[in-house]
Amino acid sequence: MTIRVRALSCVLAVAALATAGVVPAAAQRTYVVGSSATYPPFAYENAQKQIVGFDVDVINAIAAKAGIRVRLVNTPFVGIFASLNNGDIDLVVSGVTINERRRQSYDFTTPYFEARQLLAVPASSTVTRLQDLAGKKIAVVTGSTGDDVASKAFGKTSANIRRFDTTPLIIAELANGGVDAAIGDNGVIAYRVREHKTLKTVDDASMAKEYFGIAVKQGNAALRDTLNKGLAAIIADGTYATIYRTWFKSEPPTLPKP
Amino acid sequence: MDEPQILWFGWFRADIIKEYEPLFWEGLRMTVGVTVVCILLGTLLGLLLGLARLADARSPVARVLTRVLLRWPATVYVSFFRGTPLFVQILLMHFAVVPLFMNPADGWLISGDTARDLRQNYGAVITGIVSLSLNAGAYISEIFRAGIQSIDRGQTEAARSLGLSYGQAMYHVVLPQAFRRMLPPLGNNAIALLKDSSLVSAVGLGELAYAARTVAGAYSRYWEPYLTISVMYWLLTLLLAWGVRHLEVRYGRGDSR
Repeated sequence: MTIRVRALSCVLAVAALATAGVVPAAAQRTYVVGSSATYPPFAYENAQKQIVGFDVDVINAIAAKAGIRVRLVNTPFVGIFASLNNGDIDLVVSGVTINERRRQSYDFTTPYFEARQLLAVPASSTVTRLQDLAGKKIAVVTGSTGDDVASKAFGKTSANIRRFDTTPLIIAELANGGVDAAIGDNGVIAYRVREHKTLKTVDDASMAKEYFGIAVKQGNAALRDTLNKGLAAIIADGTYATIYRTWFKSEPPTLPKP
Repeated sequence: MDEPQILWFGWFRADIIKEYEPLFWEGLRMTVGVTVVCILLGTLLGLLLGLARLADARSPVARVLTRVLLRWPATVYVSFFRGTPLFVQILLMHFAVVPLFMNPADGWLISGDTARDLRQNYGAVITGIVSLSLNAGAYISEIFRAGIQSIDRGQTEAARSLGLSYGQAMYHVVLPQAFRRMLPPLGNNAIALLKDSSLVSAVGLGELAYAARTVAGAYSRYWEPYLTISVMYWLLTLLLAWGVRHLEVRYGRGDSR
């Protein structure tokens, strides 16, 4: 028995060496991409249960250029970084805003999308900027940039901030009259508000420009560099602009270089 | 982020819990409040449903009526609320059923500014109390039914032959004895209710799980917030279990001689 096991492991070791020699290890590995598919037009499930959207097209184009294989897994946003930490997923492409706090715990690629926070309010509302929401009830997605903006402006333990799991829920809460406003990323809020005739968006010009990046585990420089190379390539050859026009019906802004 | 990090045992970031401390205290208050209200409402509902499921009459006409008006609706009710996930019931209640009745635009029951005020200030609390009570009522009705059925028929017959009405026999003879037997399962149910209240955080009710979710969302750290509320829930259930045991001893006294 012992001899057979040893012989078997020898064969396996030789086989492993042989494969390693023939193709580079990176090409063999399929990277698991976590994305919260409740975030149209960035990532959502279509009727065929496939995850589609801007984020999906971008990561697929990057993967094609960088010569890596990726597999998308629908991961709820609230636990997405925990999944990255414990290795369930290798990278996160889910409309993740790059900010200082996240930079301390994860590594980001160069930006792939320019975003701003947008307010959604009832069509009859007189709100014109963030400060008008003082003392009013605001719905945000837990841990999102909208949550940050509201927490900073009105206090992170304020009872006026109502946190939900997904963007559809904050829009539903707003449409049902449970809150006076919802705050979220421009792309998603604009998309959702179009579905509700009783709502409108309010663009507060004072909101800072933000950028979406692809997050990898801290220290995974190899993967980050591979992704950066792929991203630079799709921006250079116009693939990025084509994807951008498909989803946002407008010309892409110039993204900052590292 | 400006405050200095406080590390316990070298890994537990106590400072982030400290930073969100008001949310945890408010959460504790909300969890306890909702649980207490729902135990009371659920028990009342459970008693009524349990009696409805046992309803019977002697004359054929009345028997058919009790079946159609009491037994069957109660059976369907219990079957639905035990047969669908509580989480689904909560989302259905908050985003579909409650807006139907209470809506600033065209609520069936309440509309206009009253509806808006109610929804904004107490929306999640209303959803939480209604869905948890309705759900608990279904489970508790089964406890009542089993408890009442476990009392020998002779007890009712004896009480009725002494001239007590059905209600009097129930209230003075059957329920006091049944209650003693129902205490352990009722205690279990109360503990389950306490833990299930965490599900209402999904609709934005500021209870314990909501506090933990907020902290986890802000810091992407999971040990600190969830361990903290685990300990809080555990202490609450220990307290509840102790209370139930106390009641059992008190009401069990008649039996132990």
